[in-house]
Amino acid sequence: MPNILLTRRRLLQTTAVLLASMAMPTGGLAQEGGRLVVAADSEPKNLNPAIAASNGVFFIASKVIEPLAEASFDGADGLAPRLATSWEGSDDGLSVTFKLREGVTWHDGKPFTSADVAFSAMNVWKPLQNLGRLVFANLESVETPDDLTAVFKFSKPTPFQLIRNALPVVTSVVAKHIFEGSADIAADPANNQLVGTGPFKLAEYKPGEYYRLTRNDGYWGEGEPKLSEIVFRVLPDRAAAASALEADEIQLAAFSQVPLSDLERISKVDGIKVYSEGYEALTYQLVVEINHRRKELADLKVRQAMAHAIDKDFVVNTIFLGYAKASTGIVPRDAKEFYTPDTEQYPFDVAKANALLDEAGYAKDANGVRFTLKLLPAPFFSETRQFGDYLRQALAAIGINAEIANNDAGAHLKAVYTDHDFDISVGSPVFRGDPAISTTILVKSGTPDGVFFSNQGGFANASLDALIDKANETVDVAARTDLFKDFQKQVSEQLPLINVAEWGFITVARTSVKNVSNNPRWAVSNWADTELES
Amino acid sequence: MSLLRRLLGTPEGAVGTVILCLLVLAALLAPVLFPADPLSIVGPALVPPFTDPSLPLGTDRLGRDVLAGLMHGAGTSLAVGIAAAAMAMIAGSLVGTLAGLAGGLVDEALMRVVDAFQIVPSFLLALAFVSVTGASLPVVITAIALGAWTGPARLARAEVLSIRERDYVAAARVLGMRPLEIAFREVLPNALPPVMALSSVIVAISVLTEAALSFLGLGDPNIVTWGSMIAQGRNVLRSAPFLSILPGIALMLTVLGVYLFSEGLADALARRRSRA
Repeated sequence: MPNILLTRRRLLQTTAVLLASMAMPTGGLAQEGGRLVVAADSEPKNLNPAIAASNGVFFIASKVIEPLAEASFDGADGLAPRLATSWEGSDDGLSVTFKLREGVTWHDGKPFTSADVAFSAMNVWKPLQNLGRLVFANLESVETPDDLTAVFKFSKPTPFQLIRNALPVVTSVVAKHIFEGSADIAADPANNQLVGTGPFKLAEYKPGEYYRLTRNDGYWGEGEPKLSEIVFRVLPDRAAAASALEADEIQLAAFSQVPLSDLERISKVDGIKVYSEGYEALTYQLVVEINHRRKELADLKVRQAMAHAIDKDFVVNTIFLGYAKASTGIVPRDAKEFYTPDTEQYPFDVAKANALLDEAGYAKDANGVRFTLKLLPAPFFSETRQFGDYLRQALAAIGINAEIANNDAGAHLKAVYTDHDFDISVGSPVFRGDPAISTTILVKSGTPDGVFFSNQGGFANASLDALIDKANETVDVAARTDLFKDFQKQVSEQLPLINVAEWGFITVARTSVKNVSNNPRWAVSNWADTELES
Repeated sequence: MSLLRRLLGTPEGAVGTVILCLLVLAALLAPVLFPADPLSIVGPALVPPFTDPSLPLGTDRLGRDVLAGLMHGAGTSLAVGIAAAAMAMIAGSLVGTLAGLAGGLVDEALMRVVDAFQIVPSFLLALAFVSVTGASLPVVITAIALGAWTGPARLARAEVLSIRERDYVAAARVLGMRPLEIAFREVLPNALPPVMALSSVIVAISVLTEAALSFLGLGDPNIVTWGSMIAQGRNVLRSAPFLSILPGIALMLTVLGVYLFSEGLADALARRRSRA
């Protein structure tokens, strides 16, 4: 008996080695459709986009797990159907009805039904997801009259405008049969072994090396996906992405993985194309987050002085090399539905900034220093770090000594959003189609400690809070839009944070890759129609 | 005086001394020539070297003066190198002397501590220490010394083991000197010279370790260092290579200078001894 066992084990081992060597992504394998190799700069801890709705997760997971609808350049209301084919809100704002796509199956063969949507909404989006918590705060139940209809019932009027704008980001549907009965969904190992309905299946993940996604032959989209394989090669070194593209080792680098300073050169290389479109629905904002617990910073004059001290043109032209726009307020220009330029502006004026600080009663000491602040630049982008270096100098010009403390991503998030161990920090929040999704949270008071990219600076203003609450209950689209214009004005007056610039990313791809940047969330969409020309 | 002449007599010693003098000069002159913060923005970004007389070595990605950065960086590098080496030498020779003299259990215990530190690669130790405690100049110096004190400790112990059997130590004991007095007045001074020979190597390693730490973003971000200059220049390596190359050359020259100087010094000392 032991002998048999031993041989069987041998046999299994040999087979495993053989299989592994066959599964290795080698050049000759995936001929049909081709393999797209993409640079990835991070390896998210939790890969489930239904829980962690962030772009780092979406970049990989959006190919596997789909939302109800995706952003679109030309679709009605800027949306294209995915797992839902239509959506309609009731006039009282108390219910939204989704018709779901027929004939969709999960990667494990089980059918996709309204029960999955109901489970995702009630057990994942509402209680666990960073953004869903807000959008679905008043979601009471999801009724499933039949397999292809899901009716979301709200306890309080919830604007359909918000739900609609949030669909691409907050409605990644996970399979009920995978997570049902799990004691702790947030910590379930299934979060990293995704089973979805998307055009690609997650085949393999080698930490520090690559994620390999393979074609889902049972995908509902006709003739899709076009690619047979996508490999996300982990290339944390941004400088390496450009050379890898030139050597055709990778075919695509999104999210400005190729440094901005390299774009001019690389755009002239044969066979490489630079795309600045495809990020319109995920505008990043460069902001100075302020800890209002510091008594100096609780003074509006000091915040105004800081705003006057920042030369936005320098930031746009030198740090972003022109690939950004100066901000006029908390809502970016790309959000045409809501944006108003009619807000208080703080033009670059060092003399005025100094005067404001004198007025506030913070005189310079013998060394020309008024007070010292702890500055934490977010380590997420080289631009946020460079802006930190610039901000230190800009504040030095008005007598504020900002001491930089560098942290890695985890330590930065903890220091700013949990421990509040900062005076000012450079942040990069994202505007996601509607101010109520990830923008009002930057200002509203009462968010518990530890919620990332929220108001953790201790700012509290009753009239702004009331305005945000009102907008969250206003069902009428025009009235709600007006409330958000008023919101922008009040934020600019109060300066709970300072908006400096807004930017979309740059995608650099080989010209052999087709259908790049064809929707406003392209890098984080499903890539079902992406092709590779041989 | 004759030692200096002998030092300058060897080609290594001469070159090393000149390089080190230039470095010290640069470090001393930096606050005089560039009194402003070397991290302040003084001109347009990415001015190439030798094009603007007021910015002789050009500017970096944000418009900071490269020459000012290099000169202030020399001060940082030397300060870190010397401070870390001094710390390592002092700690190492104290521990080594105590272990060698005390013998027995104390020796065993101290040497196992030395072993424990020696097992961990010194750069990893520095990396871990800085990332836990947060980056500032004293922390960086301590972190480097933490990985460098074991060499002097072992050497000092070996020397002490041989010295403590000498007659003059026995004589001191007979005279009734207390053990600690014997350790630090009779033994340590005689055990020091070979340990001192290690110091220049430690300085060179410390300069390199500090640069590597800043390169990885673990240096003090509020002061300019060559390592951080190289790291920032790396982002524009293809379009403005001078931003990485210039501090790289400075770093190489420093380490080379320290090594040559120590070679020359060792030579000079050896010749003096052989003549004597």
